[in-house]
Amino acid sequence: MLLIFFGTLDQVEYGIWHTQKLYFESFLVLWNYPQTWPGYPSLNWLRIPMLGGYTIGGLLLLNLTAAFITRFKFKAAKLGIYAIHSGLILLLVSELLTDLLSVESQMTISEGTRSNYSQTVRENELVLIDRSDPNQDIVHSISESQLQPGAQIAIPGSALQIRVVAFYPNAVLGRGSEQKVQSMATHGAGAKMNIIATPQPIDYSEKAINTSTAYVELQHADELLGTWLVSNVIDDRFPPQRFQAAANDWQIALRYKRHYYPFEIELIDFAHDKYPGTEIPFNYSSKVIAHHSDSSKNQQALIYMNHPLRYEGLTFYQASFSPDETATVLQVVRNPGWLLPYFSVLMMGFGMCYQFGLHFHRFLTTRTVQ
Amino acid sequence: MPTRIPILRIANCCAVILLLAHLTACNDSEVVSYSIPKEVDRAAPATLPAGHPPAGVGSTAATTAMPALPGMQEIADAAPDIHFTLPNGWVDAGSTGMRKANLRVDDSDGSAEITALTFPGDVGGTLANINRWCGQVGLETINETALQEISAPITIANHGGLYVRLEGKEKSILAGILPFHGSTWFFKMLGDTATVQRNEPAMKTFLNSIQIEDAHH
Repeated sequence: MLLIFFGTLDQVEYGIWHTQKLYFESFLVLWNYPQTWPGYPSLNWLRIPMLGGYTIGGLLLLNLTAAFITRFKFKAAKLGIYAIHSGLILLLVSELLTDLLSVESQMTISEGTRSNYSQTVRENELVLIDRSDPNQDIVHSISESQLQPGAQIAIPGSALQIRVVAFYPNAVLGRGSEQKVQSMATHGAGAKMNIIATPQPIDYSEKAINTSTAYVELQHADELLGTWLVSNVIDDRFPPQRFQAAANDWQIALRYKRHYYPFEIELIDFAHDKYPGTEIPFNYSSKVIAHHSDSSKNQQALIYMNHPLRYEGLTFYQASFSPDETATVLQVVRNPGWLLPYFSVLMMGFGMCYQFGLHFHRFLTTRTVQ
Repeated sequence: MPTRIPILRIANCCAVILLLAHLTACNDSEVVSYSIPKEVDRAAPATLPAGHPPAGVGSTAATTAMPALPGMQEIADAAPDIHFTLPNGWVDAGSTGMRKANLRVDDSDGSAEITALTFPGDVGGTLANINRWCGQVGLETINETALQEISAPITIANHGGLYVRLEGKEKSILAGILPFHGSTWFFKMLGDTATVQRNEPAMKTFLNSIQIEDAHH
């Protein structure tokens, strides 16, 4: 109760994603008296520690299973109760598994084109792509959380090393005037266009995308390859930032975290149906073909509301589209435990029917015996 | 009857809990490497709702404007105004955003867009910009020597500039690059090759007629 109460209070300032991480996907959480509340100068010492979501969920799970262990004796009459308890345990476990294992991302496809990856807009990755092989690209991905200032990260399979000079979870990028300020970058887009990154506080509002930015220094064996500016705002609209190291072509970028798949989804047509004679929409649908590297798995589908495509362990939902209606945005969900809540509810339903049925039967038979 | 502690059951449950705890362990402390099919350079994506992640592989039309960084709009607003004579058959679509001039010509073979843009500094250099335009019309990138073949000096607004001619199979570009007191102006016609060729004399007349507010002379 306390957890939900304080979590809701903090959500006002920090938005739902951060609060969920802080309060519910953790073991311990500390609530601070918010700056925006009255009496902050005298009450700012007030901090309330609480057990986080994982702890409480874990204890609940332990409680249920302990009762099970110590008092379990198979009696046909109690089958219903066991089913209900097992269903509840399964529900808690499935929630935990969803927290840990599920990945949600978006795939944007223009009509007539294909995409073999989806992106998670709330997470960023620094990628170094080895483009020397004519048939494939080798992507080395470093998650944002590893980009601590001063961190040295070696790229496997090469003599390349990066050193993080600065990292800003959110920043504003602008062009420095020649005379006044010079960019910290010595190579790449940052140097060419004299781009200065000014750190900003993280924007926690729900739809916000933070401009994750970093200055990294590249080094190959003993040779320094300069300081480069990378940011998730320097994207496909800009020429890729490329360099050479030991006669190999490399590309560096900071971008939304990508998940690549062994298949391509091609958008044949995106349709936005309106009620005839009005501008009121009644259906958005994407007609797609999945082209798998193993062509026996190719599949055609129409994705629309409440009718996702379930393919290769992933679920594709119709999420959004571009204003000119030539591109679709699909929400891609990988949740291996998606069936567990259904089983859990079935078990609990069965258990309840069984118990009520049993009592009802007893009630009926008792009454006839006078 | 005293409750006996079922050791085996406790052990089983502990094993399950440990397994779940293992799954919570953070494992993005390593560099993850994987290979993907070769990716081609994409042109700019179709316009997306604000805040959306950019489009994936492939796109519809390539934009002709340079990608806008924050602060560029302010620079464009502070830049001097230009005046020019509108050639016959060209339509003035009205200056927008960063385009100081935004003109259009349509004919039976297609259409072309003529824009005037200005940026501080040299924006990466003449060769880099020309190579970017090469990409837009489907030509191979060029080096300094080849630059001589597709360009010639030209006077625009009483200052020395460079006239560039890029002829692609379907699209072509005619442009004037003018370094102007610490900034660079780009006067560019981009459109279907036949239309561009037919309008080359008009483009030259347009470039000759350009006057830029000059606080220096």
